[in-house]
Amino acid sequence: MKAVFISYGQSLDRTIMELFDKLEIRGFSRWAETIGRGSISGEPHYGTHAWPTKNSTILSVMEDEKATILLEKLRALNAQAEELGMSAFVWNVENKL
Amino acid sequence: MKIYEMSVRKPISTILILVGVLVFGGYSLTRLSVDLYPDIEIPYLTVITAYPGASAADIEQNVSRVLENNLNSVSNMKRLVSSSRENTSIVALEFEWGTNLDEASNEIRDVIGRIESQFPDGVQTPMILKFSSSMMPVMYLYATAEESYGGIYKLLDERVVNSLNRIDGVGAVNISGAPEREIQVNVDPKRLEAFRITIEQIGQVIAQENLAIPAGAMDIGSERLAIRTQAEFNYVSEINDLVVVNFGGREIRVRDVAHVSDTIRTMTVRETLNGQRSVMMIIQKQSGANTVDIANAINAMLPELRATLPPDVELGVLFDTSTFITNSINSLTETVMYAFLFVILVILFFLGRWRATIIICLTIPVSLITAFIYLMFSGGTLNIISLSSLSIALVLVVDDAIVILENITKHLERKARPKDAAIYGTNEVWLAVIATTLTLLAVFLPLTMVGGMAGILFQPLGWIIAIVTTVSTVAAVTLTPMLAAYMMKYKNAHTYKGLGIVFKPIDAFLDKLDHGYARLLNWVVNHKLITLLSTGGIFVVSILLFSMVPQDFMPAQDQGQVEVSIDLPVNYNLEQTVAFAERLEARFMELIPEIKYLAVSSGASDQGGFAALFGNTGVNGVSYTMILKDRKDRNRTQQQLEDVVRAEVDLYPEVTTYTVGASMGGMMGSGTVDIKIFGFDFDETTAIAKEIQAKMREVPGAREVNISREDMRTEMRVEFDREKLARFGINTATAATFVRNRINGLTASVFREDGEEYNIVVRYDEEFRGSVDDILNIRLMNNQGATIMLREVATIVEDFIPPVIQREDRQRVVTVSVALGDGVPLGTIANAAREVIRETVTPAGVTVVLSGSVEDQENAFRDMGLLLVLVLLLVYIVMATQFESFSQPLIIMISVLFAFTGVFLALWITNTPLSLIALIGAIMLVGIVVKNGIIIVDFTNLQRERGLPINEAVITAGKSRLRPVLMTSLTTIFGMMPLAIGAGEGSEMWQPMGIAIIGGMTFSTLLTLLVVPTVYATFNIGRAKKERKDNMIEIE
Repeated sequence: MKAVFISYGQSLDRTIMELFDKLEIRGFSRWAETIGRGSISGEPHYGTHAWPTKNSTILSVMEDEKATILLEKLRALNAQAEELGMSAFVWNVENKL
Repeated sequence: MKIYEMSVRKPISTILILVGVLVFGGYSLTRLSVDLYPDIEIPYLTVITAYPGASAADIEQNVSRVLENNLNSVSNMKRLVSSSRENTSIVALEFEWGTNLDEASNEIRDVIGRIESQFPDGVQTPMILKFSSSMMPVMYLYATAEESYGGIYKLLDERVVNSLNRIDGVGAVNISGAPEREIQVNVDPKRLEAFRITIEQIGQVIAQENLAIPAGAMDIGSERLAIRTQAEFNYVSEINDLVVVNFGGREIRVRDVAHVSDTIRTMTVRETLNGQRSVMMIIQKQSGANTVDIANAINAMLPELRATLPPDVELGVLFDTSTFITNSINSLTETVMYAFLFVILVILFFLGRWRATIIICLTIPVSLITAFIYLMFSGGTLNIISLSSLSIALVLVVDDAIVILENITKHLERKARPKDAAIYGTNEVWLAVIATTLTLLAVFLPLTMVGGMAGILFQPLGWIIAIVTTVSTVAAVTLTPMLAAYMMKYKNAHTYKGLGIVFKPIDAFLDKLDHGYARLLNWVVNHKLITLLSTGGIFVVSILLFSMVPQDFMPAQDQGQVEVSIDLPVNYNLEQTVAFAERLEARFMELIPEIKYLAVSSGASDQGGFAALFGNTGVNGVSYTMILKDRKDRNRTQQQLEDVVRAEVDLYPEVTTYTVGASMGGMMGSGTVDIKIFGFDFDETTAIAKEIQAKMREVPGAREVNISREDMRTEMRVEFDREKLARFGINTATAATFVRNRINGLTASVFREDGEEYNIVVRYDEEFRGSVDDILNIRLMNNQGATIMLREVATIVEDFIPPVIQREDRQRVVTVSVALGDGVPLGTIANAAREVIRETVTPAGVTVVLSGSVEDQENAFRDMGLLLVLVLLLVYIVMATQFESFSQPLIIMISVLFAFTGVFLALWITNTPLSLIALIGAIMLVGIVVKNGIIIVDFTNLQRERGLPINEAVITAGKSRLRPVLMTSLTTIFGMMPLAIGAGEGSEMWQPMGIAIIGGMTFSTLLTLLVVPTVYATFNIGRAKKERKDNMIEIE
């Protein structure tokens, strides 16, 4: 089992949800409005006057293979709309309910 | 869910709400009637009191003063004016605009009830008269005839007037200039003398022989029959055979002493149309009825009416006030359409995208149509004020949609899905959009609170623009994202294929513009001192310009009509008046080929009517009504032609006074400069008035310098010697009646024919009433039948009628009024008048003040000044809260300063005086130009917050905001273009506003783009605030 943490420009919301549906990833938690900035480049997403965009953040736990496919798909998506901003992190889940 | 998210997610609801608004607005539009101005109640009430037999001075002392002293307490009253003439006192009360006149007249009635007992015996109950717009004629019809001329009154009265009266909303129809049938018994006084008969005896005989008396009823058998004695004349000739007296055993009949003629009444008025004898029908409307509706109904009825008249009678429309109204409204509608088109073109030019242009332009009809809904609920009409407001609102409604769509496009370019782009794009800017709308409201809501006459013009304007811009903001955050979500697609740069080729040069141009501007801005920001000094220079120039632009109150309007009224010397009789009128008429026709109809009325109607109460009616007056050709068919304006008329009339020494002007121009006309001389002593004030008149005549541009106090008129007065009368055995009343019956005539009875009644008038034949001797030779008869000549008991003296005593605010006044020549601004003449007043030496107790339209203008300008301060303050507050800063709004307000400079520059270049309308344009500019400043400062702040150094931030922001600023400015400038060019009828009114807005906007935009960034950089306003050091946790 892997935990996947995705933070992305708010306007990618529906695209990501569609991707989850398509990959039949059922469980997730989403914070509709988060703020943050990327580690390397891109505009910050602060929801302020200077940087008005905001992020959405998803934390989802899934099978290992699904996580791999998801990451691939996300990479492709990010390549298409790089300016909207996206980061994803994957780590192991030790136990679950 | 936020409102924009809801509208994107529920497109059907959004579209249907929109359709609902459109349908409701369209329905409201069909229910609105068309009129020239909003419904205005003219704030005047008049109290008319008759006191028969009293002189002007008596009336002043006993009636006018008593009324004035007590009416002074009536609430909301602005001015109290009275005029006292022989037999009548007229007290006019002027109220503040918008006063409820019903309440005011109740108050006046109470006052009169309280003081009536103070009046001397013989003063009749005062009558309260209300002026109303319904007294203005709606339409003049003319009828000309050849064979039927004699009977035209009856024809028109029966066949035309009755039908017209049946039209809904028609108040009164008066026939003027038609001959009326009269049966005249013209007596030879020598024969009367010979047979010892009097006129009164003949009158008595005629009255007694022309009778029908019911004699009761009788039962005959089983029936009850009415009995009636019938002795009415069947033919006029029967009068000839009546026996008046037995004289020496001979029956003396009427034909022995008089000749009876069935003729038309002696007319004291002669009406012609284009030189042909004519009859005028004046149609007035009922209060509250719609002029255009009535005129349409009358026009529709005319063919039907013509069919009922004999073929030689020609019936036509001389003047139709609705034509001016419909033409004005049509030309304004055209203006709105052109503005719409220009706005679309500007947006397309800058965006280069069809879909985006459509989305933005859709907010225009949606927002504008709500104005119709407002008008329907507020009981308004489609008038030149509401339509001009629409044309102004039109340029303001697209701005919000432009900002929102621009941000949505930014998200689309980052490859967000259209729906998400629409929602999040709107989310980022919607608060800023609402803030800019608030600045507009800060300008237009105070307009709805303007009082006075200006309020009538600007209250609807304020409401309409406030409502429309608010709705446009709502549309921008609902309709625009919704449409963008479904219509916009991510698109690459222009491919320039097919029709798209037109964008190639445009894109190149815009790119060049961006670069050029960036370079210029860079230079300017690095040469701050020069920039700031030139800004100061411009400020000085604008103050100079302000003093150079002349001031005016209201722009003069071309209504396609010139009214001339001329007074000839008092002793002119109708023939002389007509001869003069014809001579001048021929000259007018020669000088002014622009005339379509020329109606001339010489002399005065006997009945006088309403006009006789106020004007001087006598056979020595002539009035001309010139109806000009359509505006597009002539080169000279009404005002130019008025000057032509004045120049011509000035050539005739016999003209005592004259006025030239349009009848409808009372309220909205260019007005007059009045110099009022207050003082009790007639001779003193008249002398000063004459002196001022002479000086004012020298002033270039001053026309028709008239004095309100007329010269004394001559009259012949019969003065009886009461002693002698008493000895002879008759009293003064009887003697006076004798004189009246012989000269004016005795209406003995009426002759009935076909249900109509015609007066039978007995008097001396015309040849016996032509000289003073004829009057002196009148024989009076006492009860014993003895006769005596008038010359034995009376003398005739020539005397002057004392002038009308005019008072204002309880003081005697004489007014010197000055009209304005073509293109002469009110302010110029007013300044000259001030100079003249300063030079005039006045004795103690006499004061000279400037009044008339100048007073209205000064009041209105003062109100506007106050309004401007209020508007600036409100705009400042809105901006300060938006930026949470005291200093940034001040930088933005530099653009307001440039706007005013631009206004004065544009007015000066186009030679337009600064009128109330131009001033209101300047005030509106406050709301419009600060938008540019807000856009620039806001974006510069943003760059600073993102950490750019000051100069870089200023240049980046300027460069990226150039297009939005140019786009909103150019939509305003081009949208105002049709108004400023003003081609149609009635366009003169709003032309100064168009010119002011274009001038202010252009100048302000150009300078705002350079100066605002420079000032921003100079004072480094956006610098990060230093946090206070207290309790600060240090981060190492």
